[in-house]
Amino acid sequence: MGHSIEELQRIGVKFYLAEGAEPNLSKVIAAFHRWIRNSSVEGLLIDVADYAHVPEGPGALLVAHEGNYALDFAGGRPGVVYYRKHAADGDLAARLRSAARNALQAASLLENDPELEGAIEIGGDELQIFANDRLLAPNSDETEAGFRPVVDTLLDALFPGVACKHCRDQNPGERFNIDIKASQKSDAKTLLARL
Amino acid sequence: MTTWKETLGTSIPPVLGHEIDSYEEAFEGKREGRIESTVFAEMRLRRGVYGQRYDNGQRYDGEETRALNYPCGDLEKGPDTVWDAPGMMRIKIPWGGMSTAQMEALAEVAEEYSDGILHITTRQDVQLHFVHIEDTPDLMRRLAAVGITTREACGNVVRNVTGCPRSGVCSTETFDVTPYTQAIHEFVLGHPDGQNFGRKFKIALSGCDTQSCGLIRIHDVGGIARTREIDGELKRGFEVYVAGGLGAVPYQAQLFEEFMPEEEILPTIQAIGRVFARLGEKRNRMRARLKFLVKKLGFDEFKRLVLEERAVLDEDHRWTAFLADLHEWDDKPLKPAAPLPEGDYPAEFAAWRQDSVIPQRQEGYAMVTVGLPLGDLTSVQMRGLIELVRKYTGDTCRSTIEQDILLRWVSLSDLYDVYKDLAALGLARAATGTIADATACPGTDTCKLGISASRGLIGELNARLSAKLETLDPAVRNIRVKASGCFNSCGQHHVADIGFWGVSRKIRGQLVPHFQLVLGGQWANNGGSYGLAIVAIPSKNVPEVLDRVLDHYVADRQGDESFHDYVTRIGKKAVREQVKDLTEVPDFEQDSSYYFDWGDYRRYTVADIGKGECAGEVVESTEFDLQASEREVFEAQTLLDSADVSGAADIAYRAMFLAAKALTRTQNPAVGEDSEVIVGEFRTRLYDTELIFDKYAKGKFADYFFRAHDEVQEKVPASADLARTRIEEAQLFVEAAHACFDRMG
Repeated sequence: MGHSIEELQRIGVKFYLAEGAEPNLSKVIAAFHRWIRNSSVEGLLIDVADYAHVPEGPGALLVAHEGNYALDFAGGRPGVVYYRKHAADGDLAARLRSAARNALQAASLLENDPELEGAIEIGGDELQIFANDRLLAPNSDETEAGFRPVVDTLLDALFPGVACKHCRDQNPGERFNIDIKASQKSDAKTLLARL
Repeated sequence: MTTWKETLGTSIPPVLGHEIDSYEEAFEGKREGRIESTVFAEMRLRRGVYGQRYDNGQRYDGEETRALNYPCGDLEKGPDTVWDAPGMMRIKIPWGGMSTAQMEALAEVAEEYSDGILHITTRQDVQLHFVHIEDTPDLMRRLAAVGITTREACGNVVRNVTGCPRSGVCSTETFDVTPYTQAIHEFVLGHPDGQNFGRKFKIALSGCDTQSCGLIRIHDVGGIARTREIDGELKRGFEVYVAGGLGAVPYQAQLFEEFMPEEEILPTIQAIGRVFARLGEKRNRMRARLKFLVKKLGFDEFKRLVLEERAVLDEDHRWTAFLADLHEWDDKPLKPAAPLPEGDYPAEFAAWRQDSVIPQRQEGYAMVTVGLPLGDLTSVQMRGLIELVRKYTGDTCRSTIEQDILLRWVSLSDLYDVYKDLAALGLARAATGTIADATACPGTDTCKLGISASRGLIGELNARLSAKLETLDPAVRNIRVKASGCFNSCGQHHVADIGFWGVSRKIRGQLVPHFQLVLGGQWANNGGSYGLAIVAIPSKNVPEVLDRVLDHYVADRQGDESFHDYVTRIGKKAVREQVKDLTEVPDFEQDSSYYFDWGDYRRYTVADIGKGECAGEVVESTEFDLQASEREVFEAQTLLDSADVSGAADIAYRAMFLAAKALTRTQNPAVGEDSEVIVGEFRTRLYDTELIFDKYAKGKFADYFFRAHDEVQEKVPASADLARTRIEEAQLFVEAAHACFDRMG
């Protein structure tokens, strides 16, 4: 399994929005279209999908060749997410860090987009890390044991010296995912600078 | 590294496993240039791997069309289709039946290879979008391991065999058609007689003729369950219809046999397939559906050929083997039948129950329709549904042609608990099956052919209508509204009570998204009649048009008059008058919203569906003449409604002629008024140069015009069929003329 988890490419990171945030998806979708026009975030940006009609769905999705960006509502909690679809360079830790960086870059852009009028702000102390690959990373204790060191490496960078609680979703049907809560908050720009 | 192929091993049926391996091996052949793009495209289509918007490697970003520079460079997965561009995966779900293990696999592949959304289609399929071609072999293996195939989900083959999802539990059915639908699916899948069609072939079965769960009359072959007493024995069989189809020019299916014994259904389909493969059009895909062959041969000759073919078929045990056990696919209740306990239930439950719960034939049980907005649900919701199915009903559920999921065998005593569990999943939406549950094809969201945002429009209509559903007059509650993003009718707008299909219009030199308003269709009686377009409405005004048409209906209906009967009585001309002022488009400076489509924040364009470089001038008069031609199409419809078939056919031709003349004048302002000269000049300057050609349909629409012109010259007598077809074709030709004029810039 150790070998398999090292091969994992389909990694995602979601930074939850601050409590009570009610993002206007229409404005986010419009922002994503502008991002495509201006190449605002990393990757070959292809299209925008509007899933505002789907409860607890992907919300606003910016489809890119390498991976997707979204302001999604999975689990009933809105957040800015990036998940990788195609292979990236570097070892697993580097790939996870890269996914987190992309998510934070998107979050930072949304936080500072004048059209969104400050309606989007990440909480800065909660995130989810997931493996979108049941072959290499089934939702199991073994996967958690193999993945934990790279998660801790990322958290050490994001929240230096700060305690973080981990909570893995134990539902065997769900993909492998860990919710993380840090004991201190930081804004997207600060978190991004730490990566 | 471990692979899915190794992990799944023998759980993949060997035949499917071998086919998937061959498909994957073809990747290398394509990369090395050993396989032609067209061959590879058909190969992947037959495996359900479809193209998607922008897969030609360019996209309009709101200001300009830009190249999408994929890392694969020039490598294609089909003509003008970039290898790396994400595509759509269509997954066959015969008669919509899914086990929980299959639902689980579907949820997983949607999450890992798509965007976490499962889209239920109007053919009971599941579609995934934004899928990369390299992921498709493993996706197929994971589905194959639970008994799902994507084989022949697309391509010129027999598509997913659909069947009434209420079969076996419905109070109006003659008998359960499920085993027959499954037998057809198994028989035709990969059958040698189904591999050489010029175009796709669609089959459906329904348990009754009054409901619309199967839409029999829009299929190449459709069967309605019937019984007949023969020699003192009650025999099962089917009332069989053939050669129906929607698409750009819809055809009502024709009655092939009033009662076809059950043992004859498979061999007859085989015989029809052979005739279709042998004589059907192969080169011109726009005339290649069975409906065109039947029209060309004449129904009687077609039937004679089929019966002749049937007589010489070699006996095949599969024709009747399935009849030995017609209960193999029966689903049984998990819980005992019991009434819903008396209680003070919340109003939301009552509203949900009104629209979503259908009593079963079996006392104490009900079907529950899980309404999916625009046919979409997430992988997480799917997994929630699995738990719910296992808890309340057993192991299966079915997708529907209205893009929902149907739970069966719900004990009435569990209804409130089912409601609460669905609500927790965000799936207890009231309004299922009502006017606020309108459906749409993918349109410009993901379809390469989309002209207007059908999903955006329907999303808007559903939101508005849901908000006021309880205050709507009961007469409009169950009216069906459907929209397609173009003329191809994937949204089934022809059989909606109120339909829309996307078109574009150039207004004062600027493109504006529009939808044609289609009236006269009938959802009931298995798609009992087809509607016709009556006027193009700016997309922005469609919600107001719908409100106004419904208001007039509520105010003017007589007794229990249905909407269909109301439109027939007052005439399409009167409806057109009702909405006339809403066809106007203000200047961009006055209201820019008209120049954007629903849910799209880019300035409206048709650049993503194709490009052309006509040179244009005489703008004002061309716009004027094209509008005049559109009015003539409508006039032809009103004449047809009043049974003046000859007048309708003449005016429909005139509409085409006016549009052709308008375009010809942009190329040769001195063309004059002589009709033969105009037709000749049109051929030379618009057709031979391919200026009028649609990117995908090529010269099809202009061919309609030339054929109509020949018929007029030869004084071919008009029949109702000819008039109706010519009106449909005139509408398409006029749209093609608009599109050509749009491209002139």
